[in-house]
Amino acid sequence: MTHLDTDVLAEFRAGLITGRRGARITAHLAGCDRCTALDDRLAGVSVLLASVPAPAMPDSVTQRLDAALTAEVARRDSPERARGDGAGESPTPRRPRENRGFRLLALRVLAPAAAVVVLAAGGYGLSRINFGSSTSSTASTAGGAATAGGAATAGGAATAASSAKSATRHANAPAAAPAGITPGNIVVVTSNRNLSRADLAQQVRAALLVPPAPGSTETARAQLRGCVLGLIGDHPPQRVESVRFEGRPATLVVARTGQGDTAWIAAPDCSATNLHVLDKTSLPSGISGP
Amino acid sequence: MPDEGWPADHELLRRHVAGDAEAFGELFRRHRDRLWAVALRTLCDPDEAADALQDAMVSAFRRAGDFRGESAVTTWLHRIVVNASLDRLRRRAARPALPTGDEQAFEALVAQDGDPARASDTRMDVDAALRLLPPQQRAALVLVDMLGFSVADAAAILDTSPGTVKSRCARARARLLPHLAHLQGNRSASESVSPAQGGET
Repeated sequence: MTHLDTDVLAEFRAGLITGRRGARITAHLAGCDRCTALDDRLAGVSVLLASVPAPAMPDSVTQRLDAALTAEVARRDSPERARGDGAGESPTPRRPRENRGFRLLALRVLAPAAAVVVLAAGGYGLSRINFGSSTSSTASTAGGAATAGGAATAGGAATAASSAKSATRHANAPAAAPAGITPGNIVVVTSNRNLSRADLAQQVRAALLVPPAPGSTETARAQLRGCVLGLIGDHPPQRVESVRFEGRPATLVVARTGQGDTAWIAAPDCSATNLHVLDKTSLPSGISGP
Repeated sequence: MPDEGWPADHELLRRHVAGDAEAFGELFRRHRDRLWAVALRTLCDPDEAADALQDAMVSAFRRAGDFRGESAVTTWLHRIVVNASLDRLRRRAARPALPTGDEQAFEALVAQDGDPARASDTRMDVDAALRLLPPQQRAALVLVDMLGFSVADAAAILDTSPGTVKSRCARARARLLPHLAHLQGNRSASESVSPAQGGET
């Protein structure tokens, strides 16, 4: 018998080789110092790995997670009161990969504001928690002109007033993205929109101008999320909307690609491993806002 | 893994689903260091790990009602974190030009980290070596060898069979051997890398 291969020994050690073949290995090891030494070193790999202490979670990550959790709890507590109030421009956790320095910096600087990020990402603003950033809002256009009236019902007079104000300010700004949609949190808007193949770009453009109705958003399930992320790659998502296409269920996916936007119509079976696209169109620059 | 502390994990999860605002936080804090370790070791990148862990936490928070008690709560939490991490790796794999998983990257890391034989560098060397593994092998090895999960629990977390976990771990250990040999005892690296000849057949 020749000497034992590392892979074979590793499999043997893991209990994957038994029976006659296992017996031959056992016999060989009994008489071969060289393979016994290899076997020992293989055992040493696991020992070494087990000896490495678990890394401590950095404070910045702890703070970020705590803020995200606080926001989740708040979101769940008061979805009714939360609607309609611009939660502020989300300092979105979308961080370009090519800019590591910025990512680290953003993590530190924005940690205290992370609650705002997630609030916005959930598609809600929270009227009862004052994060003090709603005045600089542009994301509030997501609850802009078309829903200012709805906000009055859902969120009370004060909220409606602030929404109306921002709606006026941003009356001409399209409300493309549900506030804070990010690669980490794909929010799906449910609509009754029926898109057709002809003039798709025009229809998508119209769709992007309508902000999602309050309560019409939810977080994408894993399959759709995989599909969306597969389609958009590193581009910032602008809108994910559950629609009908040529009368059949489909998902509209829009991402900012370079100067303009790209829109995909994804089939219901679209997933990370099967990017099933029914149609695709590009929207020239400036369609979904700066 | 046994539930730690009181109230039990499943009780905290039940309270969370029932509307208790504190329960999920307590549950997550209880396990977050291990969950962080899984995400960090699987992704080999603190920024990505933080993103993955936050995604996973939010997902677990929202989907807690789906937990049916077929596994321990910790298994369920780890599964969500591992899936979030592997999702990120898949997306990263779709992007070109990222230096993970090749020998040059390893050499570069070791060079950058200084003398690889220094005992204080063990963690860095292990981190660098882990990058050489395919993600699925790495995830299995991290769970079993580094975090001490049983093969059965790791299989539940990875949603695969115990045999597959064993096989992934075995291949991963064999792959790591030459890169970690210098850290083992007082053997020299040159002694440790033994050229294997043929198979055992």
